[in-house]
Amino acid sequence: MSKGFRQSQAFLHTWSGLLLGWILFLVFVAGTIAFWREGLNRWMRPEIARVEQPMRVLAGSQAFLARKAPDAKSWFIPVATERTPGAQLFWVPQPKLGEERGRGRRGGRGRGDTQALIGADGQVAQGRETRGGEFFYRFHFDLHYMPVIWARWLVGFATMMMLIAIMSGIVTHKKIFKDFFTLRRAKGQRSWLDGHNATAVLALPFHLMITYTGLVTLMALLMPWAVVANYTDERAVFAALFPTATVVERTGRPAPLIDLRRIAVDAERRLGAPASFIEVSDPGDAAARVSVSQSANSMLSSRTPRLTYDGVSGRLVWRSPAPGAAAETAGAMIGLHAGRFAGNGGRWLYFLCGIAGTLMVASGLVLWTVKRRERLPDPTRPHFGFRLVERLNVAVIGGFPLGIACFFWANRLLPVALRGRADWEMHMLFIAWAAAALTAFVFRPARVWPSLFAVTGVLLVALPIYDVVATDRGLFASLAIGDLMIAGIDAAISVFGIAFLLLARGVAHHRPAAKRVRRARAATASKVPEPAE
Amino acid sequence: MSILLLLLPSAAFFLLGLATDAHHRRRFGTCPQAARRKMLRTGGWLSLIVSVAPALLAQGWIFGPILWAGAIMAGAGIAFLALNFVPARAAA
Repeated sequence: MSKGFRQSQAFLHTWSGLLLGWILFLVFVAGTIAFWREGLNRWMRPEIARVEQPMRVLAGSQAFLARKAPDAKSWFIPVATERTPGAQLFWVPQPKLGEERGRGRRGGRGRGDTQALIGADGQVAQGRETRGGEFFYRFHFDLHYMPVIWARWLVGFATMMMLIAIMSGIVTHKKIFKDFFTLRRAKGQRSWLDGHNATAVLALPFHLMITYTGLVTLMALLMPWAVVANYTDERAVFAALFPTATVVERTGRPAPLIDLRRIAVDAERRLGAPASFIEVSDPGDAAARVSVSQSANSMLSSRTPRLTYDGVSGRLVWRSPAPGAAAETAGAMIGLHAGRFAGNGGRWLYFLCGIAGTLMVASGLVLWTVKRRERLPDPTRPHFGFRLVERLNVAVIGGFPLGIACFFWANRLLPVALRGRADWEMHMLFIAWAAAALTAFVFRPARVWPSLFAVTGVLLVALPIYDVVATDRGLFASLAIGDLMIAGIDAAISVFGIAFLLLARGVAHHRPAAKRVRRARAATASKVPEPAE
Repeated sequence: MSILLLLLPSAAFFLLGLATDAHHRRRFGTCPQAARRKMLRTGGWLSLIVSVAPALLAQGWIFGPILWAGAIMAGAGIAFLALNFVPARAAA
């Protein structure tokens, strides 16, 4: 391979990685945590008991909705499992005469009045208001405090840069495949490079897969031309991609709705897999329809099949056709990206790979400064660009985890009666992060790095202890009832807390060692072969 | 089956890692001879290829390859940690 080509790739790798690296870091952190979205949904509502009998919740949901919204336009009932915090159901009221028809689920305002949480016992449960793990899932591609469309463009652009960085990285560091077993510790830049390589290469199949499939999830936004060229009507696209049974007109003749449990059992038998979502249109009317979607846990593709039943007789009236090859491919890729098919072992693997990716991005960002610090004309007075990157690194890599720790604490400590409580949890994340960023720009990085890590570590370590003391779902209580999901999250938070504390200690003690290494390197600089970029 | 699925790729990467000069020296005190290096490499690649089988047997043709990709990443990670963080024997 020619030297010139490799150097141009090195340039590409450096700058495609750096410019959107901070966004990539956020996306990686949030996405990695979002693999435990369901677990966090439960963990952040400690007062909601684990669902032992899903059918009891379903019966309770139907009874509640029949009481509360007997003549709604439609009911949406997620099928509870032991991984969900009860069933978060919602309904859409009949559109009033003269009122414009709502545009789908998001059209109506004040959704708060049209939703409820049914607990494990089939009764309405009062949970604390929280976004739970959904926050990380949305933040992963929608970010926060900005229009969704901008965020997706930004994330999509960062993802493209990521793909470029991976490809050019493979070319630049072509030696990685030969020495990816090597980790030279406490050797300054060399160690950073080894660490960057190791996290990149060990999980390279994952990085390539997650970046590429990540682009696929946003493809309709990033490359709309295929859709635009073939369809003039947006609704036609949705009809083609997400087919539904023909809509029947409301008859006005009342007829009792069939027991949804019977339909769920029949659907699960026909699908050969668990159901995840039940939608009832025109309940209590003779034209009622019940649609059941298959759970995404059971198949690779995220485009899960649906069955539609007559809501009065319980007869199967429609079955979603097998998707076309393109839709199936896209569905499989999105499924691969989100890992919803994965059981606990697979989840852990996704999670660990996500951590590797996060470390890869973080070490790459730090490496930019490590490499340039040695070449600075005057290390005590670096130029503006260097200082900016250095401080942004502290603000993002050190600050965002602190924000997340505060988010978890806010979930535990904010009063339940607080108005807009779920929003305040998120505000706390960003307030803490902003404070961290501010300190990063005011004080020297050498001091801010360890203090941010230490505070994050202390907050995280204290969290499971608080759970043991103040809630009845502490680590030991969860273990005692065999609730490994909650126990696992508590344990993982402690592990992360300890890791942050160790990191803080390491960084605090690192400074003198780094200087010594650098001096040693300077002395032997002429003999050391130039490492690959 | 799942133990085999993790063991084979770990062993594969462990052998491949040992075939490099640095790790061989660290574990055995010398750089590997050409024949020995070839043996380690062949052993590594063979166990990597063989590890496809338990993945396919366990999960079939759709999830099997995904499982295998996951297993080799996990195996590489385990081998990497073992090679770098398990202290070498006193002789080295």
